Amino acid sequence: MAVYKRTYKGYSGPLTPTWSRFLILPRYSYSRLFQSKFLILFQVACMIFPIGCAGFIYLSHNLSFLKSFNVQAGNFLDVNGNFFLYFCNFQAAMAYLMTAFVGPSLVSPDLVNNALPLYFCRPFSRTEYVAGKMSVLMFLLSMITWVPGLILFAIQSSLAGWEWTMANLWIAEAILLAMLVWCTILSLIAMAISAWVRWKVAAGALILGVFFAGAGFGAAINAVMRTKYGTLIDLAQVNFIVWSPLFHHDAASGVALSDAWMALAGACAICLWLLSKKVRAFEVIR
Amino acid sequence: MSLPPPIEESLIVFENVSRFYGEVLGVNRVTLSIPPGITSLVGPNGSGKTTLMNLMTGLVRPTRGAIKILGIPPDDPERLFRLLGYSTQFDSFPKGLTGFQFVYSFLRLFGTTHSECEALAWKSIERVNLVEAANRKVAGYSKGMRQRIKLAQSIAHDPRVLVLDEPLNGLDPLVRAETISLFRELAAEGRHVIVSSHILHEVDMISDQVILLSNGYVVAEGKIQGVRSEISDHPMQVLIRCNRPGALASKVFEQDSVVEARIHADGGGLLVKTRDPDRFYRLLNHIAMNGIEIESVAPADDNVNSVYEYLIGAEESTK
Repeated sequence: MAVYKRTYKGYSGPLTPTWSRFLILPRYSYSRLFQSKFLILFQVACMIFPIGCAGFIYLSHNLSFLKSFNVQAGNFLDVNGNFFLYFCNFQAAMAYLMTAFVGPSLVSPDLVNNALPLYFCRPFSRTEYVAGKMSVLMFLLSMITWVPGLILFAIQSSLAGWEWTMANLWIAEAILLAMLVWCTILSLIAMAISAWVRWKVAAGALILGVFFAGAGFGAAINAVMRTKYGTLIDLAQVNFIVWSPLFHHDAASGVALSDAWMALAGACAICLWLLSKKVRAFEVIR
Repeated sequence: MSLPPPIEESLIVFENVSRFYGEVLGVNRVTLSIPPGITSLVGPNGSGKTTLMNLMTGLVRPTRGAIKILGIPPDDPERLFRLLGYSTQFDSFPKGLTGFQFVYSFLRLFGTTHSECEALAWKSIERVNLVEAANRKVAGYSKGMRQRIKLAQSIAHDPRVLVLDEPLNGLDPLVRAETISLFRELAAEGRHVIVSSHILHEVDMISDQVILLSNGYVVAEGKIQGVRSEISDHPMQVLIRCNRPGALASKVFEQDSVVEARIHADGGGLLVKTRDPDRFYRLLNHIAMNGIEIESVAPADDNVNSVYEYLIGAEESTK
């Protein structure tokens, strides 16, 4: 046996904080995603409705401008919780479409290329990997959901004054919480499907299908069993039930709010379990 | 004067390690102690080489037993991966990256700063001789270039332990020689270089020690000559180059331990199979003093190829 003496010295320089290391993953994901012209166009399209809403808010504070065109505005121009709920509903639908487009390319390429050992043979955990990949989608979805929502709220506040702002601060909280819940659900579903379905087109279709199938089965269960609890597998409806009290709106679904929260938590838990089964450094071949 | 580190901090230690994938055996009852230098894992497909490497790198947890890499358990990735580099057998590359970006981005996961990462990435790319292609997309690389860029990412953070799964696959002879010389260089610096390979001739050439695996069991480990001398089922083969092979044959047959003697095809030597090589070598000294001119004496089967054939080949052929 040869006898070797250690003659080198490993790296001992400064290190970045451990908590921020997951942010390295999105680095190349964004550059790859934005190579797609469709995604850029879609991102731009997602801004059309918020811009329209901003115009609406402006008009509601400049009735004299409307009167100059002989338009009777009446009460329909109220900017309140319902206005922001409609805004959130529309943007949530756009976020859903974006997830179907972006989600499949998150985890499946690493699984197809057997690239997971590359990530995990570093001081980098599975949780950090999931957080890193999820942050890609969360950022993109945030840009079209709660960020424009809060900008609209800020515009309304600046035009309506301090008193309105203080009385309606709950709207800003509702926008933030409702959209973060929706983005988290979408991201986890997209990641779980991306980990299990390696063919991107099929994964995208399945992300869309989860919601349609949930709505269909939910309605069928409600009809057959004469219950309201079938609604709990319709994630879009469950989400609306969770949102409604946040925006002081009555969902009138017949399902308790606590049950809706439990259904969302259950969906998240299932997604995390599916991810934990697939996001591993090795593959078990039986 | 500082004290030398404890011996366990310079060894990779497996203590009665087993790993099962459900009912499928990965490796079973592996007890090893690997010192610095080049160690080759040799065995047929499915023998447990990659499982052993995954256990070493903490990517797979043992079902039973304990592993320590230079005193660190593999379930402490923050400490372990500062001193361990791994190159998998897969051509696994995130899409769209250049060779440099590949090495750089994975180096960032260690927490190294941007400028340090750039410097370390270029240094490792230079070490594998891939500077000119570093700014090209990995997708356009040849198999050999992919192997080299994988090697670069595994050595970029200057690890003390390198675990390389099939690192010589797909390399042309020139690059292969360069890579082997890099392994020797890394080992000479006092690192552990663990290599798995199917190319037995090269394993023989580069390894300080080998670990032979079959069906999840370690069938032999150590320096190859030592392993060979312990295989008593197969008599040792010795090739003696001499001027009178016929006369030598008649002399050696007087020994009980000699089971076969064959005159070499070129007529200039004798191939002897003996169960007691030490006694045989003593006899040769005696013969050399009695008129037969012996040019050279060399063991003919103390290489990985023969050992592999004796220990694993028969088992494989009966499957």
